[in-house]
Amino acid sequence: MQETRHQFRESLKELETQTLGGLDLVIAQLDRALESLSYSDVELASMVVADDDRIDGRYLEVHQGILSLLARQAPVATDLRIVAALLHAIRCIERMGDQCVNVAKLVPLSGYESPKDKEILDAIERMGNLARSQVSQAKEAFASRNVELAQDLVNQDAEINRLNREIFKRAVEIGDDLDMREWGMFMILVARCLERIGDNTVDIAEQVVFVVTGLFREMASNSAPTT
Amino acid sequence: MSAITQLPQISARRRATDRAMRGVLWTATGIALIPLVLVIYYLIHKGAGQWTSNFFTTDPNGNFFGNHGGIRSAIFGTLELIGIASAIAIPVGIAVALYLTEYGKDSLFANVVRYFVDVMTGVPSIVFGLFIYIVLVVSKVGGSGFAGWKGALAVTLLMLPIVIRSSEVVLLLVPSSLREAALALGSPRWRVITRVVLPTSASGLVTGSLLAVARGMGETAPLLFTVSYTMTATGNPNTLMNTLPVQIYNDIHSPEPAVIARAWGAALTLVAIVLILNLLARAISRRSRMA
Amino acid sequence: MIPDGTTSKDPTKMPDAKGPSEQTETAPPREATRARTAEGHAVNVSDLHAYYGANEAVKGIDISFPPNEVTAIIGPSGCGKSTMVRCINRMHEEIPGARATGAVKLDDLDLYAAGVDVTAVRRLIGMVFQKANPFPTMSIFDNVAAGLRLTGQRGSDLRETVHKALRSVGLWEEVKNRLNAPGIGLSGGQQQRLCIARTVAVGPEVILMDEPCSALDPVATLKVEELIDELKERYTIVIVTHNMQQAARVADSTVFMLDGLVVEHGPTTEMFTNPSDERTERYVTGKFG
Repeated sequence: MQETRHQFRESLKELETQTLGGLDLVIAQLDRALESLSYSDVELASMVVADDDRIDGRYLEVHQGILSLLARQAPVATDLRIVAALLHAIRCIERMGDQCVNVAKLVPLSGYESPKDKEILDAIERMGNLARSQVSQAKEAFASRNVELAQDLVNQDAEINRLNREIFKRAVEIGDDLDMREWGMFMILVARCLERIGDNTVDIAEQVVFVVTGLFREMASNSAPTT
Repeated sequence: MSAITQLPQISARRRATDRAMRGVLWTATGIALIPLVLVIYYLIHKGAGQWTSNFFTTDPNGNFFGNHGGIRSAIFGTLELIGIASAIAIPVGIAVALYLTEYGKDSLFANVVRYFVDVMTGVPSIVFGLFIYIVLVVSKVGGSGFAGWKGALAVTLLMLPIVIRSSEVVLLLVPSSLREAALALGSPRWRVITRVVLPTSASGLVTGSLLAVARGMGETAPLLFTVSYTMTATGNPNTLMNTLPVQIYNDIHSPEPAVIARAWGAALTLVAIVLILNLLARAISRRSRMA
Repeated sequence: MIPDGTTSKDPTKMPDAKGPSEQTETAPPREATRARTAEGHAVNVSDLHAYYGANEAVKGIDISFPPNEVTAIIGPSGCGKSTMVRCINRMHEEIPGARATGAVKLDDLDLYAAGVDVTAVRRLIGMVFQKANPFPTMSIFDNVAAGLRLTGQRGSDLRETVHKALRSVGLWEEVKNRLNAPGIGLSGGQQQRLCIARTVAVGPEVILMDEPCSALDPVATLKVEELIDELKERYTIVIVTHNMQQAARVADSTVFMLDGLVVEHGPTTEMFTNPSDERTERYVTGKFG
């Protein structure tokens, strides 16, 4: 059976590739932001800030592509759900990019000689790794329409949330040194940005479930602290 | 892909072929038109002079000398005969056509009927005359030998297949969507026929009937055997009647040139009557249809 | 118990007809604000088979058409949707060699019961066709009145009925000064609305529409769709359409047919955002090769 609406399917696939490509951009930005943080590399940090334009540009491209597709092709059923999901996802991607920029902007502020706490640094590193793997998993789940993979993201996100609370507690108890305390506050902000990135991947996971099942369910997690 | 720099011109040979074809078609049209024009010309040339008031108001009187009289009885007779024949042939013919298109459609019986109607259109008119002669005239049915109504019957048989065939064609042209619409409104079938099918095909039916009337008016052979000839007009259909074709037939054989001239006048009259009927019917159908 | 042609068409006067107070069931939430006129009649098709000679075009269908709602029937060419709809008002049997078995019920009245007057069925269930077919020999007024005259009804309120029908299809303003002009002088969209007025004038309970807009331009199409939306206050409407966007715009629920059978039947929003059957998904998204 020959496929009809060839042009439409090509356009839709292209749109999806563009959107998921945005997740690759996010991963790159995240890596560099965290690196600039650990090495206090101001130049790298400013590169991250500048490169956010690419993510914003990707957002506009996808947004325009979706409008065009809706106007000209009138997608329905699964196609419609995919389009709606892509629109939602690209917004999450744009926000994730902004979070990376927030992390990068904290670099010059935390100073070159500032004292650091090893526990917090480790936790941040672990959070960073988790965030990256979540973004990657979100991309995989969407591309392969894998509902289990999507739902697993919730579990991973629980871990990021736990780490966030840990860092907070540790920063509060960090001691009397002013510089240290200041550094601790900045780390709380960084942790928060990473936690937000995690939440956005869960949003994307919800969209995956929506595309496959047609049902939209809020997935548990987010920030309500249980302990 | 090469650019188109110049559009090709029509070749001289194609132009010549085109002209030749056109010439051939014009010639054929001319060949067909010439006899028609000649006939009309001769009719008018030879017959128009006969149209005097005397011509229309006196009966032929069989005199050898002097005033030969007009053709009044012939005109009345023809009109009366055709009137009777049409009164039978047209309603019956349309009814048969309605049966064939609305009810019979493609059934075996309907197809058999169609076949026989087709055969009847080809039967020579003299056969109808003979048939009526043997069945009605010889056995003196109705108390007379030759009679107007018997001639009318012969002409009816002649007209019937023409009315049926042409009516069927016209009825088939009524789009089935109209019938569907009427049926879907909850109309019983007979009302669909009377209120939708017949009004829509009215002008076509009229034209078809006219064709039949024109044919019937001019036939001589059947009338010779069934109505014969007389000179007076009594209006009584149960006796001999004069008719235009028979009048012409008789007059042509006369040695008197004046009588022959009268025949031309009668022929022109016949054609004129057909023309008038035609125009009348068209005017009626145009008014009944929403133009 | 058999509707005969001469009694009035008010179904409440027929024995065995349910009263018109069936609308106490819960309406879906977003419809709650629309005031139901509590006059609707449902159509129920059960185990319908339809044949053209030996060829089975409809192979056993069960559908119910809810009262005062628009149900659209979609499906590829030859799937039997037009045939099925024509079985509802018993037009199918007008084709030589065609027959249908099964039951079609208007509320509780079995339209295929023995001895039922077919013309009465058609007065209860009107039909609008794909190509507008106003009667060419009749004026606008006569066209609308045709339904009444063809069924032998006379009346001093004939004019009333005709004017009301023209108003209800939105044609009144456009033709009120030329009611005697020929019906075929109108534009395509107006002609189709004229045919709808003609159908409505007879006073049916259900209106069947067989691709009513496929011969119309987009503006005329939208006008007819508006009209359908208004008409459903008073009638139950079934519309066969090739145009999926139209079904999506106009219908409360949609039926997808394939090869003489019903594949899926559900609320239109669901059919077009999340259909349950794979075949529906493929047809609706255009993956049908």
